[in-house]
Amino acid sequence: MTFLREKRAIFSDLSLRIPKGKITAIMGPSGTGKTTLLRLIGGQLKPDQGDVVVDGHSVPSLSRKQLFELRQRMGMLFQSGALFSELTVFENVAFPLRVHTKLPEDMIRDLVLIKLESVGLRGARDLMPSELSGGMSRRVALARAIALDPELMMYDEPFVGQDPITLGVLVKLIRQLNDALNMTTVLVSHDIDECLSIADHVCVLSGGKVLVQGSPEEILQSDLSEVKQFIQGLPDGPVPFRYPANDFAEDILFAGKDGVAG
Amino acid sequence: MFGWLQQIGHRVLSIVAGLGRSAQLLLAALMGLGYVLKNFRLLIKQVYVTGVLSIAIIGVSGLFIGMVLGLQGYSILVDFGAEDALGQMVALTLLRELSPVVAALLFAGRAGSALTAEIGLMKATEQLASMEMIGVDPVKRVIAPRLYAGIIALPLLCILFSIIGVWGGMLVGVEWLGVFDGSYWGNMQASVSFTHDVMNGVIKSIVFAFVVTWIAVFQGYDLEPTSEGISRATTKTVVHGSLAVLGLDFVLTALMFGDF
Amino acid sequence: MTTRWIEISVGGFVIAGALALLLLAFKVSGLDINGDDEDTYVVYAHFNNIGGLKPRAKVTMAGVTIGRVAAVEIDPQWYDAKVTLRIDNSMKDKLSTDTTAMILTSGLLGENYIGLVVGAEEDMLADGGEIRDTQPALVLEDLIGKFLSSMGKE
Repeated sequence: MTFLREKRAIFSDLSLRIPKGKITAIMGPSGTGKTTLLRLIGGQLKPDQGDVVVDGHSVPSLSRKQLFELRQRMGMLFQSGALFSELTVFENVAFPLRVHTKLPEDMIRDLVLIKLESVGLRGARDLMPSELSGGMSRRVALARAIALDPELMMYDEPFVGQDPITLGVLVKLIRQLNDALNMTTVLVSHDIDECLSIADHVCVLSGGKVLVQGSPEEILQSDLSEVKQFIQGLPDGPVPFRYPANDFAEDILFAGKDGVAG
Repeated sequence: MFGWLQQIGHRVLSIVAGLGRSAQLLLAALMGLGYVLKNFRLLIKQVYVTGVLSIAIIGVSGLFIGMVLGLQGYSILVDFGAEDALGQMVALTLLRELSPVVAALLFAGRAGSALTAEIGLMKATEQLASMEMIGVDPVKRVIAPRLYAGIIALPLLCILFSIIGVWGGMLVGVEWLGVFDGSYWGNMQASVSFTHDVMNGVIKSIVFAFVVTWIAVFQGYDLEPTSEGISRATTKTVVHGSLAVLGLDFVLTALMFGDF
Repeated sequence: MTTRWIEISVGGFVIAGALALLLLAFKVSGLDINGDDEDTYVVYAHFNNIGGLKPRAKVTMAGVTIGRVAAVEIDPQWYDAKVTLRIDNSMKDKLSTDTTAMILTSGLLGENYIGLVVGAEEDMLADGGEIRDTQPALVLEDLIGKFLSSMGKE
């Protein structure tokens, strides 16, 4: 799978490749456009310049119909889960099957139950999304995303806000799914430990550029100060932690005068 | 110095761009008719949400408006000894103006704002985006059924409003104030024409349904996916929808009844 | 809120709407689908002046409605108004040829309508018969004019 693109503003002359059949983690500080990157792959956004190539298809130049066909081979797990709020858990997982296949009802039922079982939520099939906890709804969303056995699976921040148990389960699940179904996985996250533990290939973004890419070991041994700062979680370094502001002491001492004058 | 000029230009451009986007959405949603007919249940569900759930508010308002018309009409007409014309007055006021307009205003407030908030929330929680990623066009699946349901529901609500209003007028005029019921109905039947009054009212309400639902789904689809954005969009739906109804009502009235 | 209930209530809603439209058609606008040709016959009445008489106005006898005005047109031969009346078939062969027709007003500001008074002739009006003995509508300006001229004579 080749993947090249360039975009101004958020990304400038960004170019990266995602290897087929492996787990690629895309990491970087908040606001570097990791989610945007996934949307570009899914064809929801179009690059101003350059190209996005998925399995030989140039995504931005596909017709609407071709794009929807290509998307049937992609799965995406959104940050919020994005379950359809008016459907039950069962119907949510069945949704892609009903839309894209003409399988008989009992087969859909079996498939949905298999997918729900794989995320450990077979018992929750009759609940509505509003009755689920955040972690549960993300697992249901995962079951829905893999309902059609996609070739490319994208995860948008799957580890955010999960308790340690769910986190461990999720990490395992992602690994298992990737190996069992021979999927290509793109994982966007800033949770370093989890990413490094499951990824085959890691790519660190910052300032719209690829800082470094390679195996997890290579990343850990990287000499780049930005990468070191990010991985060790230090506030001071080349990546600014603070939003640009004038001098702190000055701001505090002269706050009254400045405030009135301003 | 040219700041204000630039601001005007910016506003105009953004309004034009919004109109363009809404026209695109409308076109795409109308093209989704085939999908809606194939998935008829989606349409039924939306007719339920926009229509059936609005029956109560439409019925109660229709009753009270009819009763007020009966009361006011009687007190004016009785001075001329023409209280026999009460039925005619109530029916014509309702059929030509009040039912289409008031039903559409209530519809914008009740169903329109709910549509905007629902679609907006689906957008904010990435449901629309994930639907797109599953390979389903949300315009066909989410927008089109709601648009068509609105166009079906409001004219029906408007007709119910008229009937309940005429009955409410009779309740006050005939039962309480003692207008002879033969002249209430007789005068009404002699002066109300089916094509000229009843059908024109229905046509009005179809136009209103179209515009109000269009505004509602567009505001929902186009909003900024934040809690502020949703509240601003629901307000816009009600304000723009109501203004559009009142403005269009004048145009339609001039076209339909303006020749005498 | 099962799917079944949703479908039933939507069905009920649509049928209620259709029934309401039918009610509007027949009860409110008095649309009469079989009335025009089946159970009525036509009589023409000529008036010097019809005032505000409009099609669909009622035709009464002794205050009882027995028909409707179907059309109002000018008769180029006599330069008077030729009003087509559709009279209920129950009154067929019961109106004498010297029946008089007058244009009346219901209330001070009400609609104009036609009142018929039967004469003494033995022969009855047939379908398409004509009434010549008519009394025109009262026109306010004429009344005031007459009143003023009679005042002037005194």
